Amino acid sequence: MGDDTVGKAMSLSRKIRYHFMKDMGVPGLMRFSAARKKRHTRKQSLSLGPPLTCNSRLKEIMATHYLLSRYAEGAKPVAWVTSGAPVEILRPFGFYTFYPENHAALCGAQKLGPEIFAEAEEHGYHQDLCSYARIDLGHYFSGKTPVGQLPKPDLLFASNNICQTVVYWYRALAEYWKIPLILFDTPYNFGEIKEGDIRYMVRQLEEMIPLLEQISKRRFHHRRFQEIIRIAKEASVTWGEVLSTMKARPSPMTIFDAFNHLAPIVSLRGLPAALEYYRALLDELHERVAQGIGAIRDERKRLMWDNIAIWYKVRDFSNLFAEHGMNFVSATYTYAWTETIGLLDESKPFESMAKAYSLVVLNNNLNHRLKLMEDLIREFQVDGLVIHSARSCKPYSVGQYDLKRLLVERLKIPAVIIEADITDSRAYSEEQAMVRLEAFFEALEG
Amino acid sequence: MTDFHPPSRKEYLLRQKEVYGRHLLGVFPAQYPREILWAMNVLPVEIWDPPLESSQASAHLQPYICSIVKLGLELIIQGKGDILDGFLFPHTCDSIQNLSSIVNDYLEVKKPCYFFYHPKAPYRESSHRFYIEQLRDLAAQLEDQVGALDYPRLNQCIDKGEKVASIMRELYSLRARGELGASNFEFYQVIRQAEFLHPDDFIPLLERFLKDSRNTATSQESVILSGVLPNPPEILNLLDELKIRVGDDDLLACSRRHFVPYTQAKDPLETLAERYFRMPPCTTRNSPIRERMVNLLDKVEGCNAKGVIFCMVKFCEPELFDLPHLIEE
Repeated sequence: MGDDTVGKAMSLSRKIRYHFMKDMGVPGLMRFSAARKKRHTRKQSLSLGPPLTCNSRLKEIMATHYLLSRYAEGAKPVAWVTSGAPVEILRPFGFYTFYPENHAALCGAQKLGPEIFAEAEEHGYHQDLCSYARIDLGHYFSGKTPVGQLPKPDLLFASNNICQTVVYWYRALAEYWKIPLILFDTPYNFGEIKEGDIRYMVRQLEEMIPLLEQISKRRFHHRRFQEIIRIAKEASVTWGEVLSTMKARPSPMTIFDAFNHLAPIVSLRGLPAALEYYRALLDELHERVAQGIGAIRDERKRLMWDNIAIWYKVRDFSNLFAEHGMNFVSATYTYAWTETIGLLDESKPFESMAKAYSLVVLNNNLNHRLKLMEDLIREFQVDGLVIHSARSCKPYSVGQYDLKRLLVERLKIPAVIIEADITDSRAYSEEQAMVRLEAFFEALEG
Repeated sequence: MTDFHPPSRKEYLLRQKEVYGRHLLGVFPAQYPREILWAMNVLPVEIWDPPLESSQASAHLQPYICSIVKLGLELIIQGKGDILDGFLFPHTCDSIQNLSSIVNDYLEVKKPCYFFYHPKAPYRESSHRFYIEQLRDLAAQLEDQVGALDYPRLNQCIDKGEKVASIMRELYSLRARGELGASNFEFYQVIRQAEFLHPDDFIPLLERFLKDSRNTATSQESVILSGVLPNPPEILNLLDELKIRVGDDDLLACSRRHFVPYTQAKDPLETLAERYFRMPPCTTRNSPIRERMVNLLDKVEGCNAKGVIFCMVKFCEPELFDLPHLIEE
């Protein structure tokens, strides 16, 4: 056989294997896994309300996504994508999308961060760098991951609307993998968004299409693209409705739950699975609100969280705050995936995508976030604010000291800053955090 | 050694205001079209590493923020920037990005703040058009304070920029061949005057320095400096003591911005755009790592350097991400 024929045969066999796993293999494994988990149910704190039924469905969706990703390489074009990138433009080309940030968060939650990013540090990546990036680079050097195996990308797709760090990180990956990098360059909104910036972003989206066609070997299908925009928008709006249920007293969900339930809108945006999931979750939350079922048993105080989660402390903090009768009912981080994606408009897909992705919270001046936080605090009847100063995330963290000062002055609510990191537990001091939190609890109760 | 005595920065800046009627704009690092500012009778005063102790900036910035941002903010808070008529924030990194909002929105500085977003690589045709729009936008932002941009004057300022670059190239070339008599410390002391001298003063200074510094070739061992700033000055003094020549550099504050390429464009904005996209590889423009590696290796070869000293600013993400590749290569 010639190389080309071998290549095609390999690709065909991989496609067959992929579709078999998608339709039969993975669903079968999921059923087996679910049956095993029923025999080993994890105990939870008595202060917490009944867990969401949808939790198991969420795990199944994300486990399926990761498991199936192992078979995507060679069967479908694979793109590694930043969380804020306009993934909708990739979907018509059939890319299997993978989110290194989501993978890093998972590693952080499983407390595997230090083990994996040590590999990156061994190769010269400084510990002052973003820990998501260090985990991803650590995986590159070692192959370590809790999800078995990650698919090798054919394309790196990034947007700097969430930070510039992803651009440096993906630039490094592009050099290692020797594959194309597409950057969706979103000019920072120092003030209001400008028409010239929108034009620039629209042109970029149009310019990407030939390269995407080349890599995926598929033509761009405008109707399919419009349908994906519609699904993405609806999923984002539904996610917003999910979050809005937390205005109820007691709130049917905590932000710690929401950090997990964020995964589909980040990783599966534009796919029917994300929309279907959030409809089911919304139904369950409505039911809980109607029955007065709270995420914690005794909701006496309502809180807001600012910044990304401290992934290795999510469970501990969930229990700690619940035991104090405090429920997190709002967060800027979870809100980010509903704040602007609702701007998507299938009748003007490129222009609406430019606006939706440019206006995300971290791509605007600090006053934008200040107003957002004030609005959320009022709408969700928040009694106190917990700010995570995340060492890895400068666009989120720089300015927090001023935001805290202004919110406390204007809204007269107590606030506390916890210095930590998203996945690097070396940046977190339990003692320091507890001292600050104890003072915060006293201020709230007083 | 040459006989170079740097001017007092404060006295010089006061003179620019009082005698020449120039507006002084505090400019944070790194990429900005200085020719447009010159043409609008604005003197950029770059803020890299003011000699201050950080104290009040900590009320606004976490400990893991770089010294350039911290000291720049400290300068403003302490009122040491009171002589300035405003500030310009190029979009260099996340920290400077958010610093611009802290200063503009929360510090009550009562001075205008301007912003300049430059496109990041990988570039496409849209990047070029956008950059030209950004140049016009910057001029439009400044117009209320300093008056409209005069295009014939802009052409003259572009010529001055090219003159500066031309002399810089010659200085760097002499240094690479070991034919520059100035010490490492003195070299950077002169080069860094670009951070605040008007070209009408900087060009004669450079020409004098070039004339006074020509020397017969030496056989000193040489090294390359790579990173952000040629800091701390003690390193330059140490290299001088050890008779090690800095043969070339890949510093953001120095060669990466000064080696303005020659252009064929006639329209001044096209000229500035062409220059921007052809500048040496730089992390602040998101240049591919491979391009930077090749550029650095060329420099090593060009001056027969025996080593590279990476001058890192702690917490500087753009530079730290490139470092492992550069070291490995």
